[in-house]
Amino acid sequence: MPPIGIPAKRALPAKESSLFKELLNLYETRQLKKGLKTADQILKKFPEHGETLCMRGLILTHMGKREEGLELVKKGVRLDLTSHICWHVFGLIQKGEKNYEEALKSYTQALRFDKENLNILRDAAHLQTQLRIYDSLVETRHTLLKLRPTLRQNWIGLAVAYHLNGNLKEARNVLEHYESTLKNIPDYDVEHSESLLYHVRVLEELGEYEDAISFLDINAKSRAIVDRVAVMEFRARLLSKMHSADAEQAWQPLIEQNPDCYDYYRGFLSNRGVDLDAVTDETRSKALQCLRDFSTQLPRANAPRRLALNIALGDEFKELAEPYLHSGLRKGIPSLFADIKALYSDAQKRQVIEDIVELERTKSEHPPQPDSSEPSTYLWTLYFLAQHHSSLSHHARALELLDTALTHTPTLPELYMLKARVLKRSGDPFGAARCMDEARLLDLQDRFLNTKAGKYRLRAGLVEEASEIFGLFTKKDAASPGADLEDMQSLLFLTEEADAHLRNGSPGLALKRYLAIQKVFADFEDDQFDFHGYSLRKFTVNPYFGLIEWEDRLRSHPAYVHSAIEASQILIRLHDDPSLATATSTSASLTDAEKKAKKKAKKAAQKVQEETKKAAGNSANEDKGLEPSPAKDDDPDGIKLLQAPEPLERAAKMLHPLRTLAASNVAAWIAIYDVAIRRKKYVQAVKALSSAHVLQADYPELHVRLVHCKRTVSSLPEPLAAPVGPVVTSTITKLVPDEQSLELFNSQYLQQHSGNARAVLATAKASRLLQASQEEVENTLFTVLNPDVSFDIKTALGGLALLNEIKSGRIEEFRTACDARFELATIFKPAGELSALRRLALEADFAKVDAEKQEVIS
Amino acid sequence: MNIRPARVDDLMGMQACNLQNLPENYTMKYYLYHILTWPQLSYVAEDHKGRIVGYILAKMEEDVPEGDDAHGHVTSISVLRSYRRLGLAKKLMVQSQEAMATVYRAAYVSLHVRKSNRAALSLYRDTLGFTVKDVEKKYYADGEDAYAMRLSLKHLAR
Repeated sequence: MPPIGIPAKRALPAKESSLFKELLNLYETRQLKKGLKTADQILKKFPEHGETLCMRGLILTHMGKREEGLELVKKGVRLDLTSHICWHVFGLIQKGEKNYEEALKSYTQALRFDKENLNILRDAAHLQTQLRIYDSLVETRHTLLKLRPTLRQNWIGLAVAYHLNGNLKEARNVLEHYESTLKNIPDYDVEHSESLLYHVRVLEELGEYEDAISFLDINAKSRAIVDRVAVMEFRARLLSKMHSADAEQAWQPLIEQNPDCYDYYRGFLSNRGVDLDAVTDETRSKALQCLRDFSTQLPRANAPRRLALNIALGDEFKELAEPYLHSGLRKGIPSLFADIKALYSDAQKRQVIEDIVELERTKSEHPPQPDSSEPSTYLWTLYFLAQHHSSLSHHARALELLDTALTHTPTLPELYMLKARVLKRSGDPFGAARCMDEARLLDLQDRFLNTKAGKYRLRAGLVEEASEIFGLFTKKDAASPGADLEDMQSLLFLTEEADAHLRNGSPGLALKRYLAIQKVFADFEDDQFDFHGYSLRKFTVNPYFGLIEWEDRLRSHPAYVHSAIEASQILIRLHDDPSLATATSTSASLTDAEKKAKKKAKKAAQKVQEETKKAAGNSANEDKGLEPSPAKDDDPDGIKLLQAPEPLERAAKMLHPLRTLAASNVAAWIAIYDVAIRRKKYVQAVKALSSAHVLQADYPELHVRLVHCKRTVSSLPEPLAAPVGPVVTSTITKLVPDEQSLELFNSQYLQQHSGNARAVLATAKASRLLQASQEEVENTLFTVLNPDVSFDIKTALGGLALLNEIKSGRIEEFRTACDARFELATIFKPAGELSALRRLALEADFAKVDAEKQEVIS
Repeated sequence: MNIRPARVDDLMGMQACNLQNLPENYTMKYYLYHILTWPQLSYVAEDHKGRIVGYILAKMEEDVPEGDDAHGHVTSISVLRSYRRLGLAKKLMVQSQEAMATVYRAAYVSLHVRKSNRAALSLYRDTLGFTVKDVEKKYYADGEDAYAMRLSLKHLAR
């Protein structure tokens, strides 16, 4: 007879029962092979024993036999639906696959049959946090505390759960209760100190400043809190919030401790009634006096001097700017211009700065005594002025200054870097890449220069050649330089290479890279999982809240937003023209050199794979863990990505986070519209346009969408039914006047913005949607060339793309006109010249190789 | 540039800065591990736009043999080339050392540098006052040796 309460199918005779216990033990100690044998012994007699089947499946998964293992676990669960072991095992495997939602369901089942299992409860709490299900988290943490009140982290765990769930008062109660139970805290216990600092934070967020300050002071004095900087920061902030007379005394030591922290000056001044970010005529002199005092007190600190430049005006500004600029030029500080550029939003300050530095140039150009003046001051002055003029789009002037500087000193990488930047801005990516390479060759040990050189090659479309450069610093055992940079989560590289592929007409490779960016963000999201437990054990709760907040806003990062928008545009193109997926077979268009490089990369990748296999085989560790190993790359050109079904659904998914996290980004709303309208989600589509309209009503791409939207909706075979129909109609009517024809709407937009090239381009696109004749579209577009239109390179490229799309006969005419208009630009040169330009971009490198060869020969 | 304690939302900027400057790189999880274990020890320098232009990522040595002093370790420190000559590395290092000494009562701070990296060696030795304690053979993945360097923090003890 089985013991009461155990279902007959689960009960095992004494021998097998002890074998099963042994099996659990073997798994816990990761003796996998022995465990497998033990499981087999039980299953020989009881092949339908669910718990044993699950354990066998779990062990197999650990040994790398994922599919077989999962099958067994599922079978085991089916055979014993009321076993907490079966559900726990299933949950463990789902958690390993990062399928947190399903894992939590399994854990919840497991808890139904074993309410007080600590391991399961703890895992469930982590899953609930990961999934932000905070009310259930509070319950789970409560249970854990009830079961193990002696464990300190269980108290903190409950307080954190209340806090996350928005119940600060309960969090405070728990902390107070917890502290009252503590005995024998060792001196200098950093963990205890961190938990007390968390308590202060809770009080601050509750607005209980007085309580917070006295709690802080008591515990700082007794040295229970050991983090001095944190104590000072909390103190100063709290006293300021209380408008206490002691606040000033509290900011002062922080400034002395770290005299280059802007926030400390902000705090100090706010206490004197000065808002450093919004200085008024009344507060200006008080603030300046104060910053002057600090400058005298702290001669090495840069912050008070720099902050003073923000708020000083007129003669006083000049008086402060002169020594600041002179000292920067004399010391040869490369970032001087970047440092003061923010002041240029004030045209007067800009002029004063220009005058000061120009004067310095004249002086240092003809030093009174040839040996007395530092030669480098002159050089850094030229460098500064070149940046100044480049920022004002005086490209030719900037280049002239740089050439003078380069004649003076041809060995300073900064000069080549800047020249590269100026050329890039003026539309010469090839010359820019060459210059950046020259900078790199001057200091081959510097990865910064290397990264820049690689990036500039990508900007010039030289993808393989960029990879060669990146490879000088990436791990030699990686499959390729790109693979290492992807492993190391380099968003810069992934973004630049994706964009380069896109410009080069390889949407498959571009899509692959954009998805790699999204994978990096998914990994960042997963990264937090282990810290839900770890931070409680370490009591680092304040930074843990920083982690949660960061994760919640993770996909607001520009790299994610960019990747989502660009990738969704590729997917839209695939939806509109599925032939794109088969048209881009990349190999056909490769040059011989590219084919060779590819072959080489493939070989290297193979070698690495073999080596890792070997290493894995040799390792004594048979445990592969529960996380699936990364799948090998069977889609090197991204062709499969292009051919995968449902491009629009994929696009919608990656754009989804932008609704909340990039809500102030017009381009994001445009992308959301583009996908929604094609998915026939009309309400979503018009709402996206409304959101964009609020942000920037005359945004050119929005204009195109307004025309597109109204036309699409009005040409539906049947009007949209309620409730969707009326919402859509009324929303559109607010954006596009009903009584006007779309043609008139379009021409009025052009009239209002005829001086803006991007608006002109938008009008041309809209007329194309309205099926205007090709001639009309072309004529509209060509008005961007009128001398009174503010035209830029990006819009010019957009114009060329449009002409290509409509297969215009006037492409060459437009190209030639752009080439004449942008004198320094090379991207508008005839196709035949571009390959020569590309070679030129690599010239610096070739020259060096040649020189080295000659050295060897001589 | 603004110097302040590093927060979790600085880590991506620190990672980007590290990748741009140095050959030793780490995935995000390693940065998270630092900041969620020793939140007081890492600092950043940021420009007016809030871009991270320099950082120090630091920790306490965990496996200290019996009888040996508690000590800090600089996992990584770097400043973007275009923001050099401002003394940022020194300012970052000083803040971190102060925290090592006061929060964890570290007796000294250690770091590793590639034998071939003369620029970094001179920064640590001449500007920051470190001394070479040892050579660690084949410390780096590519087989290069490292100098193990140290700086006493006794003067900061309180």
